[in-house]
Amino acid sequence: MQVRQRRGRSARVGTSLGLIGLLAVLALVAVTGLDWAQSTLYVQLHSFGDTRGVTVLSPLVDLEKDFSDRTGLRVKFGVDAVTAASDACARCHPQGAQDRRTYADFALLRKLGSARLELGGEISRENFYASESVTASLSRDFNRGNTTIAGAYSFSLNNPELHPSRNVEQQISHDASIALTQTLSKTTIVQLSYDFNRISGYQSSPFLRTSVNGQMVLGVVPDLRNRQAVSVRVRQALHAGTYLQADFRHYFDSWSVGSNTLSLGASHYFSPVWLVGFSYRWYDQTGAFFYQPEYFGTPEYFTADYRLAPFSSGLYTGRVVYTPEDGLFGLPKGTALEFQYDRYVGSNQFQAAVFSGGLRIPF
Amino acid sequence: MRQRTRVMVLVGGVVLCSALAASCATVQPWERRELANPCMVFDASAAQAAYDAHWQSAREGSAGGFGFQGGGCGCK
Repeated sequence: MQVRQRRGRSARVGTSLGLIGLLAVLALVAVTGLDWAQSTLYVQLHSFGDTRGVTVLSPLVDLEKDFSDRTGLRVKFGVDAVTAASDACARCHPQGAQDRRTYADFALLRKLGSARLELGGEISRENFYASESVTASLSRDFNRGNTTIAGAYSFSLNNPELHPSRNVEQQISHDASIALTQTLSKTTIVQLSYDFNRISGYQSSPFLRTSVNGQMVLGVVPDLRNRQAVSVRVRQALHAGTYLQADFRHYFDSWSVGSNTLSLGASHYFSPVWLVGFSYRWYDQTGAFFYQPEYFGTPEYFTADYRLAPFSSGLYTGRVVYTPEDGLFGLPKGTALEFQYDRYVGSNQFQAAVFSGGLRIPF
Repeated sequence: MRQRTRVMVLVGGVVLCSALAASCATVQPWERRELANPCMVFDASAAQAAYDAHWQSAREGSAGGFGFQGGGCGCK
């Protein structure tokens, strides 16, 4: 019976991955075979490594194409190749455990007068986790394009598998947001946004065990979580090709996790070919109302999820964009090479480094 | 204390919105050269922004506020 379940599950995963690949290939063939008004192909490779022993290689292809002045399509296909040698995995797999997440993302865009409608979805598959999302967003320009109001809604159905058992749980997520973007002057633009996210269903981790009365057991957390975030973002152009950015987000949820995030950055064109930028992101959060390093008595909720503990972090980012005037590698003019390095340092001894390289090709 | 901070943030947001509504500059299309620069566009690189948001939300208790979160992942 168990073998049959496993075969059925493997077949389902295989079919899903096949469908994702087929969809991506069909979309790419379709878009490259049409006479598009404007298009951009973006190929990226991300390399992630952290102090918990997890390394992730993430190649992705992102294609944006315009059918006409009013209709466009966006297709993204990517893979996360995970070496999950984290504490949770190493307990059962001392040599580490391989994992792979494959995802395909697509969106159709349509301009309706001064409004813009976008409908899309995402399918994601990995060992012990499946996810599907649909998204709809609508934005409209006012005041001769100096004011933009946008609203969006997303629905996600996530299915974690309680590895090593074959039981599959369900998690449902509704996400709604509204944003106001306003031009303040010829050199200043600001954006305000509000985001509400409601997650219901299984939200614990089948991999993390915490100590309750000295015994290591899987966590139990509430089945409902309401998350809210408000943010302010500002962009300021200075003279001589220098640009400043500032982002602030205040977040709070029904599990009593609250956080403030402040990001400051600057970019400068050293020549029309070279753009160099740096930014620093400060993050500080409180813990969930039920989080404790270890538990005693008969607690209703308990978890070992370090994301629910209070901590702060700093993220240092450096970015270089090279856009040769006459194209690159025989590719069209406007082709750009992009490199980004991120260094994440948490007060909880967690550190991570991310290297991203990308090639952006307009055609 | 946190409730007070929240109220202050919301009040600040309303004040900022009012200030924005009052300012409402009308920048003409031919004056938008700087505004059109990719450095001035929020999430000009949507793929990079989505990747950054994904790995950060998998390691922090917060998410959202700067666009959609999309589907989850196991993220062991």
